[in-house]
Amino acid sequence: MLLIHCPYCNAERPEVEFAYAGEAHIARPTDPSQLDDDQWRDHLYIRSNPRGLHYERWRHIHGCGRFFNAARDTLSDKFVTTYKASLPRPQIVQSEDTP
Amino acid sequence: MTMHPHHPLSGEGIALHKPFPLTIRPLADKARFSLRIDPDQRIAASAVLGLNLPGNIGDVAYAGEKTAVCLGPDEWYVTVPVADQAEIEAGFAALYAQQPHSLVDVSHREVSIGIEGRDAALVLQSAIAFDVDAMAPGSGCRTIFDGKAQIILLRDAKDRFQIDVWHSFSEHVWHFLQVVAREIELDI
Amino acid sequence: MTNHRIAGKGRVDHGRPVHFTFNGTRYEGFQGDTLASALLANGVHLVGRSFKYHRPRGILAAGSEEPNALVGVTHGPGRFEPNTRATVLEISQGLSTNSQNHWPSLKRDIGAVNDAAYMLFSAGFYYKTFMWPKSFWNKVYEPFIRGAAGLGVSPTQPDPDTYASRHVHCDVLVVGAGPAGIAAALSAGRSGAKVILLDEQAEFGGSLLSETDASIDGRSGWDWLTMAMTELAALDNVTLLPRTTAIGYYHQNFVGLCQRLTDHLADVPQGTPRERMWKVRAAQVVLAQGAIERPLVFHGNDRPGVMLAGAARTYLNRYGVKVGQSALVVTTHDSAWLAAFDLAKAEGKVVAIVDLRPNISSHLRAKADSLGIEVLAGWTVTGTSGRLRIKSARVRPADPTAGGARTIACDVLMMSGGWTPSVHLFSHTKGKLNWHEEEQAFLPGEHAEASRTVGAGNGSFGLAKALAEGAEAGADAASDAGYNGRSAQYMVTDETELTGIRVRELPTDQNPGKAKAFVDFQNDVTAKDIRLAVREGFKSIEHVKRYTTNGMATDQGKTSNINGLAIAADAVGAPVPAVGLTTFRPPYTPTTFGAFAGYNRGRLFEVTRKTPIDGWAEAKGAAFEPVSLWRRAWYFPQAGEDMHAAVARECAAVRASVGIFDASTLGKIEIVGPDAAEFMNRMYTNPWTKLAPGRCRYGLLLGEDGFIRDDGVIGRMAPDRFHVTTTTGGAARVLNMMEDYLQTEWPDLKVWLTSTTEQWAVIALQGPNARRLLEPLVEGIDLSDDAFPHMAVAEGHICGVPTRLFRVSFTGERGYEVNVPARYGRAIWEKLFADGQAYGITPYGTETMHVLRAEKGYIIVGQDTDGTLTPDDAALGWAIGKAKPDFVGKRSLTRPDMLKKDRKQLVGLLTDDPMMVLEEGAQIVFDPNQPIPMKMVGHVTSAYWSASLNRSIAFGVVEGGHSRMGETIYIPMPDRTLSAKITGMVFVDPENSRLNA
Repeated sequence: MLLIHCPYCNAERPEVEFAYAGEAHIARPTDPSQLDDDQWRDHLYIRSNPRGLHYERWRHIHGCGRFFNAARDTLSDKFVTTYKASLPRPQIVQSEDTP
Repeated sequence: MTMHPHHPLSGEGIALHKPFPLTIRPLADKARFSLRIDPDQRIAASAVLGLNLPGNIGDVAYAGEKTAVCLGPDEWYVTVPVADQAEIEAGFAALYAQQPHSLVDVSHREVSIGIEGRDAALVLQSAIAFDVDAMAPGSGCRTIFDGKAQIILLRDAKDRFQIDVWHSFSEHVWHFLQVVAREIELDI
Repeated sequence: MTNHRIAGKGRVDHGRPVHFTFNGTRYEGFQGDTLASALLANGVHLVGRSFKYHRPRGILAAGSEEPNALVGVTHGPGRFEPNTRATVLEISQGLSTNSQNHWPSLKRDIGAVNDAAYMLFSAGFYYKTFMWPKSFWNKVYEPFIRGAAGLGVSPTQPDPDTYASRHVHCDVLVVGAGPAGIAAALSAGRSGAKVILLDEQAEFGGSLLSETDASIDGRSGWDWLTMAMTELAALDNVTLLPRTTAIGYYHQNFVGLCQRLTDHLADVPQGTPRERMWKVRAAQVVLAQGAIERPLVFHGNDRPGVMLAGAARTYLNRYGVKVGQSALVVTTHDSAWLAAFDLAKAEGKVVAIVDLRPNISSHLRAKADSLGIEVLAGWTVTGTSGRLRIKSARVRPADPTAGGARTIACDVLMMSGGWTPSVHLFSHTKGKLNWHEEEQAFLPGEHAEASRTVGAGNGSFGLAKALAEGAEAGADAASDAGYNGRSAQYMVTDETELTGIRVRELPTDQNPGKAKAFVDFQNDVTAKDIRLAVREGFKSIEHVKRYTTNGMATDQGKTSNINGLAIAADAVGAPVPAVGLTTFRPPYTPTTFGAFAGYNRGRLFEVTRKTPIDGWAEAKGAAFEPVSLWRRAWYFPQAGEDMHAAVARECAAVRASVGIFDASTLGKIEIVGPDAAEFMNRMYTNPWTKLAPGRCRYGLLLGEDGFIRDDGVIGRMAPDRFHVTTTTGGAARVLNMMEDYLQTEWPDLKVWLTSTTEQWAVIALQGPNARRLLEPLVEGIDLSDDAFPHMAVAEGHICGVPTRLFRVSFTGERGYEVNVPARYGRAIWEKLFADGQAYGITPYGTETMHVLRAEKGYIIVGQDTDGTLTPDDAALGWAIGKAKPDFVGKRSLTRPDMLKKDRKQLVGLLTDDPMMVLEEGAQIVFDPNQPIPMKMVGHVTSAYWSASLNRSIAFGVVEGGHSRMGETIYIPMPDRTLSAKITGMVFVDPENSRLNA
């Protein structure tokens, strides 16, 4: 069971308190009607699915209830960092043996 | 015509005398609120409650028989004597015009269970994944019990905990505590 | 049976005899014996038959790595366990054990014919022998293979035991309580750090328990052990867990420990869990797993009586058991010499030491000479004889050109191919293993977790190194965990420096094509099998492993992996590290299902949520059905009624007078704040701005993909306050989805969400007499149809209890839903039921609710929809606020796929045979005469007997269904093909006149 740092509680809590919520930094368009069909399809369904660093959303659902963002390495399953939902994507320097 | 309330765990109780005294019992109902308000307005809300709402997630404030635990950045779980319920609701209704918020009565949603004794933390450790022993007395949080039932856990003192759980999950929590209490009784 | 026990020797309690049975024969052992040591003390070596060839097998090892000695154990009625290793099973009074894999008896086994037919069972025999004809697979080959192979038999009764689990958090977890682990625990424990020290064995000490030569700080090893354990036991911050196996090592120092609590006890207090799973989170981990001795690979190396030299030494020194009367030692490593010396000193006869190495240290040689043991250095063994026990071994010089083969009589052969560091747990963490040519072993490289490996598991063999490394690692671990850890010095004297070489198969002058030189004893894999696999093109060890099954048995190749790898590498012609090592996976040793299940059995398996009214329904004899985690009253059968009759009666009663239904499970969310209406507008398809306080509306919730997610009636209690209801199963999902949008897309909105599902008990009163029943009990609400019409909501009191009263109908009848605080649900229900007697009030369950709503064409999200239906597909286009600029899912509704004419659409279905109720889930076709596989164009989603219409009704999704009204579709069933007409979905009262009846 992983430990996940909740940026709102500012504490490491066990994974069972959390729920995964998909890729991060995909903002809902302010006016979806302005998007053509392909753009809307991409918004709905196209995800990066990287090997390595992945920016993703989690919710501390059985804790403070907040959605937040995390950078996690999909190879090692390790969390690199977590940050509040409103914050921009942090710049992360990857070590050499991760892509 | 008087309607009598029916407590989901009425009549239940666990009392062990060996190796160390341990009691697990349903606690009397109180008025319970979920309060959501902009943290900047904490002072105004505290004035209505007659209790200083804590500012950090996990902190608990006590004032007489009133208790408030900060569960999230803008969320508090407040319990007060039933006699105070109407006054508090009126006070928050009056506050709403200046400071919108949400005060929802959840008195009947929850069941409170008290666990007291030297091994209280050990009992909980069968159901809770974080380090219960590391919880400071006077702190609390929402968490998940046995991976199945969401609870609010308060540590009122080193050897005294309180679980608040939705009533339909309370039977599961209770049965679980019964099983674990037997392990404590056998000292294994 | 001869007694092979040396009086007074070892750590067993000679004053406490323990009686047990093996294959029905009663034996005596001592408290502290394992089944293996007790059997050996009674001269029993033959303990089982092998997996594939049914060859007689004995006891190879003395620990959890044992591949051969698997037995069935009965701890009492219902407590049968197969495949228990005799080497770890502690005997207790009355224990009953049996050998496995033979018929009719262990000594005469028909299945041993497999051994003669071994050519058929070579590597990959599954893929070769049973390829043809194909039709033979199910009826001939598979039953044959399953009958002939397999380990043990499954228990036939439910496990009567209970199992516990516990999370625990510590500073330093020490895995393995040999000298290295104990030294680590001492250093860490003295610093005040919270330490857990565990060992899989009943007694702490590891290799110290098996050897008696060396002394520590001037004390004998055993005295030092007693002192160390006394000190550790006295430290409050140290937890000692014997009989505990670290089964898996996961991220962030999360380690699973399985502790056996009762198997060793003859009398178990009622309610004691059999095992406990400890879920440890450690700041620092010290791995002191030790090393496992490697067998040698030669023809006949599996005969009972052939065992690891270290194991023989353990049986001698720890259990006081001489494993044989005349022992032959065959080795490539010095450690077997020590085993020989100990045996000789205990007046056991060692007939010779055969060592493949021509050059032996003078020290060992001198010692052998002084004990009168013949030394054959530079020699090999080429075979053994003896049917159920070794009788002799053929030995010769390793040099193939030399002559002089001899046959040496012996009743036990003690072998050693050196030692393999146990790196299993380290491997679980994906730590990198490095090949060390000098040690001929894979050793831990960089650690992936906050952990250290010490002692033999780190390639640091010998007591002095183990203690030094353990002491330092324990101190460092404590320091890294925030304590002031200090190492300790231990002075070890009289320790012999040991060296050895690693070989593949022992050299032989015999035909290697006929050699039964076993590598994996448990899966019956020979050296020949591995070479064959390589010849057939498998070059990677992962492939060789799967083709030959080497290392794939329950022992995970603890004694076979390195030998198999070395042979494969030789066959490939590549160095060992180039061929690779297979991955170790949890659990380290076989673990009971019960330990994994823990508390999750019986009533603790899953939460059963019950409403405040559930107890009333139970007392009335209701049948229940599970709906998500809830159990709900399904129907209320009266005497002599089946479900069909009960539901028909309940349906009729609701339409004729009044029914009462427990709707408490409906999800409820209180939405409060100045932006509540705006939030509702954005979430739901419907418009909310103009909904007046005191009124309700049916709300439809889509996902962003445009598909229906949930629905429910929503009441506006005040301008800033909505009482939202959701489906029973959707409550948590809907709240999560709302929080997601609110927190991450629209954090500017001033609105807050609170779950009130369990705050309210909900009692539905439905039927033409509902108002008459309710009106006298309600205060503060005018129930007249003008003041309180269909889809009204108001707050007031019922019988003095506050209520939120909804005027809603999910039946088509006049209906009310009485929300009262949950603790009062039962009392109000009972009051309504009592007063309702005047109207013949009828309690009804979910089945009647389903029928009544279907008669009215109301859908159930999750039954009639499946996540692929749009509002138009479900004929709910009317629920969309056309003027709203946006809501969740709106943009998706105009995607080209969503506008296709042949989408599957929800329609009513009326069977041509009115008596025939369709099967929910049945597939629909347009042409019943087309060839199979038919083109399926939809399926039945709901189907019931309608008492009102005296015929069956159904809903289904059908391609282009909305434009096929009146057409006939077909439902092929196993025994016949049914036909039905496509219709609208409202079967009863399309004018809605009954809502106000």
